[in-house]
Amino acid sequence: MNRPLLYILLMLFLTFAVTVAGLKLGSFETDFATVWNALFNYNPEDPAHFAVLHLRLPRLLLAICVGGSLAFCGYLMQAMINNALADPYILGTASGASFGASFCFFAFTNLTVFGIYLPPFAALLGSFVVTIIVVALGTRSGQLIPSQMLLAGIALTSLIGALTSLITFLSSSEGKLKSVIFWAMGGFEKASWESLPYPAVALLLALVIFMFMQKRLNVLLLGPERAKMLGVNVAQTRWIILLTVSVVTGFAVALSGPVGFVGLIIPHVTRGLLGITGKLNLIFCALTGGLFMLVCDLLSRIVFPPAGLPVGVVTSLFGVPFFVYLLLKKNYKFG
Amino acid sequence: MPKPLSFFRSFFSKILLLVFLAGCGGNSEKSIGNSNQKVELSKITVTDDLGRKLQVPENPKRIMALSAAMTEMLFAVVLDSMIVGRTQVCNYPEAAKKKTVINSYPVDLEGLLALKPEIVFTEDGITPMETAAKIEQLGIPVYFQRYDKVADIFRGLNDIGKIMHREVAAKKLTDSLQTELNAIENEVKTHELKRALVIINTDPIYVYGRNTLMTDKLEKAGGENALKEVFPQQSPQLTREYVLQLNPGFIFGISKEQNETLFRLYPELQKVDAYKNKRIFVLNDDLASRPSPRVVESIREIRNYLQK
Repeated sequence: MNRPLLYILLMLFLTFAVTVAGLKLGSFETDFATVWNALFNYNPEDPAHFAVLHLRLPRLLLAICVGGSLAFCGYLMQAMINNALADPYILGTASGASFGASFCFFAFTNLTVFGIYLPPFAALLGSFVVTIIVVALGTRSGQLIPSQMLLAGIALTSLIGALTSLITFLSSSEGKLKSVIFWAMGGFEKASWESLPYPAVALLLALVIFMFMQKRLNVLLLGPERAKMLGVNVAQTRWIILLTVSVVTGFAVALSGPVGFVGLIIPHVTRGLLGITGKLNLIFCALTGGLFMLVCDLLSRIVFPPAGLPVGVVTSLFGVPFFVYLLLKKNYKFG
Repeated sequence: MPKPLSFFRSFFSKILLLVFLAGCGGNSEKSIGNSNQKVELSKITVTDDLGRKLQVPENPKRIMALSAAMTEMLFAVVLDSMIVGRTQVCNYPEAAKKKTVINSYPVDLEGLLALKPEIVFTEDGITPMETAAKIEQLGIPVYFQRYDKVADIFRGLNDIGKIMHREVAAKKLTDSLQTELNAIENEVKTHELKRALVIINTDPIYVYGRNTLMTDKLEKAGGENALKEVFPQQSPQLTREYVLQLNPGFIFGISKEQNETLFRLYPELQKVDAYKNKRIFVLNDDLASRPSPRVVESIREIRNYLQK
């Protein structure tokens, strides 16, 4: 069995094992027998069964989806921009989503309209609007210019960040402040079976599409001129990547908040372990991102029960040392 | 531009004068008899609830507070004319609304200085120590109070009375409040304890923790805080599962909208007894959140809901 496949099987096994362990963690005391019964002999009258099936499982799956989405999109953006520092948020997705959600917390006393909880929708809308502006600014005569887009993303992120800070400052109540700050640090507490399909389907579809485009991505790493010479339609590939990243990241951020660092480090971990042009890199990247996020969420709740530390804090605390180790140990180079 | 210049001249001359006066005062400290109290001409040393020793005027005539609750405390004990200002969040009593507004977040130091208060009162947790240090650098002592129990509010009122030479008024007020409180406690003693969770925020869920004044208020109203665990934070963040596991018999929020949002955002919480038995109520936010002389009114409000 080749090494990449072995790594993928290992990731699948670890993800399964951590998910099962995660199903035990919560406020109701539950042993593995209870977890088993909740999954296969569900008793709707038992609150522990309800907690396992309707609160813990969607939360764990959302963490996997969001981690996988961010890592996957980070991989795509690094390939497209051909820059080791690229992540899914350089399109302004995170800042747009934060602004949308913060505006909701600030402007609406009742956060629900016609039975719909507004912040995730506002976050999704904010992320799309900002992404469209960044892409428009980074386009000349229908051609994407990555360096220009990168600069537009940085500028717009700063502008939107300033507006979000203004909203935070103007927030009159401590509760609103907490909502805005908590949202900006990310979390999976509001996970539900109803919302889970959006990021899950978006990620799975994107994975399938890019499985067939893996070669194009690898060629893009050689630079646009060489890619063109090798027959790759660079402009088309870039547009597909942009559309995919904005949709997949948009859903992930709308449901969990802008969790940082995963989209930056996991693609590097992937290349560090499987090489720069591995055939299974995208799948491994998404799986590793999902597992990493899952572990971070569980650790945050073990260290700081019951609600846990903001998951963005944990991803950085655990991710950075490992990232530095990887860079030093493997003498890793991008591209 | 004569106006800005004259303003800066006036501002800096005030600061220089305060620094000069502070320096003069420091040289003329003396002890009284065997007591540990030091007297600085017309100043006395007092210790606030945080254990900080402060030199305050012996007969202060101009004071203000940097928190809404503390403004209520001052108005309840001292003469209105002694209170020189209020913050933007102070809305009670009516007389407070006529006072000059000083922004408290961040503190408008220039505005504060212009009002020339001799003591600034505030609450632990409301004014950062760094801000208090800046105010004290201007020569204005900052007196902190802290309230973990209802009794702390009564003690705080009497302490203000002592500092402001309004002991009789403070004692009369606290005696009256204590009598009302005793009546409520005697009335509810026979009832079984009712477990209530008081929600501060819905996204994420924050509640009044065990180590807060709210726990004491709930107990005096014949209930108990459904949150048994003591967290390091006064308002801990909880998960849906934790609230489900607590299964409170009563849920109190601070607005109707907040309560509606709570159950729309977390429909799972409709499984708790409070929802099933329609015991979801809205507390007056000012009464619930402020440790003020209206604490008995707050307890009465809670008691009335717990009896439903």
